[in-house]
Amino acid sequence: MSATMSNAHTRVPKNPLFREPSLLGGAPREIEFRDAIREAMSEEMRRDKRVFLLGEEVAQYDGAYKVSKGMLAEFGERRIIDTPISESGFAGMAIGAAAMGLRPIVEFMSWSFSLVAADPILNNAPKMLYMSGGQLGCPIVFRGNDGAGGQLGSTHSWAVEGLFSNVPGVKIVIPSCPADAKGLLKTAIRDDDPVFFLESERLLSVKGHVPEAEYLIPFGHAIVRRTGTHCTLASWGRPVIFCMEAAEILAKEGIDCEVIDLRTVRPLDLPTVVESVRKTNCAVVVDQSWSFASPGSELASQIHKACFDDLDNFVHRVHADDVPTPYSSKLEQEYLPNVRKICEAVRSATYRA
Amino acid sequence: MPIEITMPRLSDTMEAGTVIKWNVKEGDAVKSGSVVADIETDKATMEMQCFDDGRMAAILVEAGKQVKVGTLIALVALEGEDIASVKDSVKANGGAKPASAPAAKSATATAASSTTTAVNQPDNRYGMEEFSPASEDGPRMRVSPVARRIAEEHGIDVRSVRGTGPAGRVIKRDVEQALENRASAGATAKSSTITTSHALAVSTGGVQTPGSPLSLSLPGRDVALSGMRQTIARRLVESKTSIPHYQVTMKFDMDRLLEMRTTFNGKLASSGVKLSVNDFLIRACALAMAEHPYFNASFAGDHVRIHEVVNIGIAISLPAEKGGGLVVGVIRDADHKSLRQISLEAKALGEKARTKGLSVQDMSDATFTISNLGMFGVEHFTAIINPPNSAILACGAAVAQPVVRNGALVVGTQMQATLSLDHRVIDGAMAAQYLASLKEFIEEPETLVV
Repeated sequence: MSATMSNAHTRVPKNPLFREPSLLGGAPREIEFRDAIREAMSEEMRRDKRVFLLGEEVAQYDGAYKVSKGMLAEFGERRIIDTPISESGFAGMAIGAAAMGLRPIVEFMSWSFSLVAADPILNNAPKMLYMSGGQLGCPIVFRGNDGAGGQLGSTHSWAVEGLFSNVPGVKIVIPSCPADAKGLLKTAIRDDDPVFFLESERLLSVKGHVPEAEYLIPFGHAIVRRTGTHCTLASWGRPVIFCMEAAEILAKEGIDCEVIDLRTVRPLDLPTVVESVRKTNCAVVVDQSWSFASPGSELASQIHKACFDDLDNFVHRVHADDVPTPYSSKLEQEYLPNVRKICEAVRSATYRA
Repeated sequence: MPIEITMPRLSDTMEAGTVIKWNVKEGDAVKSGSVVADIETDKATMEMQCFDDGRMAAILVEAGKQVKVGTLIALVALEGEDIASVKDSVKANGGAKPASAPAAKSATATAASSTTTAVNQPDNRYGMEEFSPASEDGPRMRVSPVARRIAEEHGIDVRSVRGTGPAGRVIKRDVEQALENRASAGATAKSSTITTSHALAVSTGGVQTPGSPLSLSLPGRDVALSGMRQTIARRLVESKTSIPHYQVTMKFDMDRLLEMRTTFNGKLASSGVKLSVNDFLIRACALAMAEHPYFNASFAGDHVRIHEVVNIGIAISLPAEKGGGLVVGVIRDADHKSLRQISLEAKALGEKARTKGLSVQDMSDATFTISNLGMFGVEHFTAIINPPNSAILACGAAVAQPVVRNGALVVGTQMQATLSLDHRVIDGAMAAQYLASLKEFIEEPETLVV
């Protein structure tokens, strides 16, 4: 999957490094999603001595998913820190370090485990600037695997964006491809606010072109992955891939879908979606979190408000089913937003069911 | 609990109604079936009945005021209920409750003009006893927001569009289809957009729209549009801008028909039947349908509907002292009715229209319309098609004039009649053939009797 065009609406980013990776020149360079994340962290650690990584098994074991492979050798044990199995403890400690001027990256082996650190990450980090009257910031990145799909069972398959996007003060980034992962993570590390960076365990081995040249991708800047005229598919993270597959199938049926990758759900790039819906008069939102009070329901609501007179049907939504994540592989695939569900939603939304 | 009386929906297209007159005062006893008010709809004025016994506790919408269908207009206190406390509860709630937020807006918007309406229109102009309370729950129009917007932008009445979405919802492709049909029908999209949306503004706003800048700069007197005038404005602009009209005229020798009429009326005088020329024309037009079904048809977007029944509409003008205007009464199954029956029904319709007013039933389902100005001495005119008809016949007076018969100049009585036709349904040659059939019936009037 590669970006085929940049945003049509023009908002010129301030940072000259804000560049669309697909528009950068250079030799083709296919690397894995996990490599892209490591490159982002390593580049930023070389650039800024205040940046350090901590988490369970990130140092000596090279990371539970080999994301931080080789980083201990390069940066040493003062900057690549193995922690005890105590999310509440090391997340809280890192928040204190951020308040004091360092720029920690906290790896959660799974975002499912971040729930035991709910108080520091939701109650302390996002409110630090506000509650200290601007005296203390919290430039921190929490990152790790999010979402189901790997038969990890109900308790280890959280898509935490459904819960966490409700909190003011957090930034939530959900990349769908290696190039975006690198550019967005570098932006996250340079951001002065807490950023929740949600990776998918299912995507870590996915390869994609990542340009050699340095670039950052701004937050709140969606990208149109595929242009179309009949229906807007809006998604983020792994389901973007399902949307692209669904769009191929639907194109054979004569339904021309436009696929928008939001990249970040907070901030949410509504203008790009609105521009598309004004053209297609039809929208389907695909979100891997549960439907009730989710980023998907929020986006649908905002589309209804901004595009009321442009809609030919109500905004359809595809989510994970409203049950705990099943362990069975077949049930788990059926539970997630998948290509079949997306196709059905688009046919219904375009009155071609 | 007091009984709430809301503005009823008295016709399929009614969106708002004006209380013309209250027949009871607050405190008066009312009983089930008693007529409490006269309501003017977009089509006619009807009597509104009360369905409960009690006393009129509060009148919330004064005479002359137009409100949206569903708006609370009065409260009836049942036996044992205290009128004063019912009234107080209304005051506490802020008086008349509009049906919805936009309704409140339209009620305010029309308030200014309805004062004039009340003054200009005599009470109980065409009061009417029959209406079905069940029609209050008329089917709701389902239209997707973008379909509604596109329709408005292009001056298309969404009510005329067939919805293909769930539950008949009108969706984008339906309006686009309607636009395509209109374009292929040869209508100039640009001009119709302007005129139609203008007419819609008139009918929905209920207020005279400053359409012509000329009328504003000169001194004059503004006459508010009655519901009927609004309907005429809306429907005829719609007809004239969306239907590709053309006209075909023919002359008919009337001598034998007039002779027959005199004979019949002489014999029927004792039975109170007096056949008019128009009665003969109604029967002739109806009988001609058998050979020319497309004159009894409606254009419906992607197809033409040929009707099984022949219902002839007759244009009836209302006297100026009754507020003027024009209604179309309908003679149902006119092809199966004798001259005598047609005559009796036409006369009854005319009288009812001029005195009490026609019911919705009396005015519905015409499949062809006749307009006759012969009685006013008009020899020739053209009429605007009454949608969804495909044709209308405009008849002039039967006039004695020099005619050439068998090579000799003689005095003959002739009538000119002009068909206005929807070219999407009927071509010129078809119109000529229909007029030829009509000519046979009229010039050999025995055929109308058998």
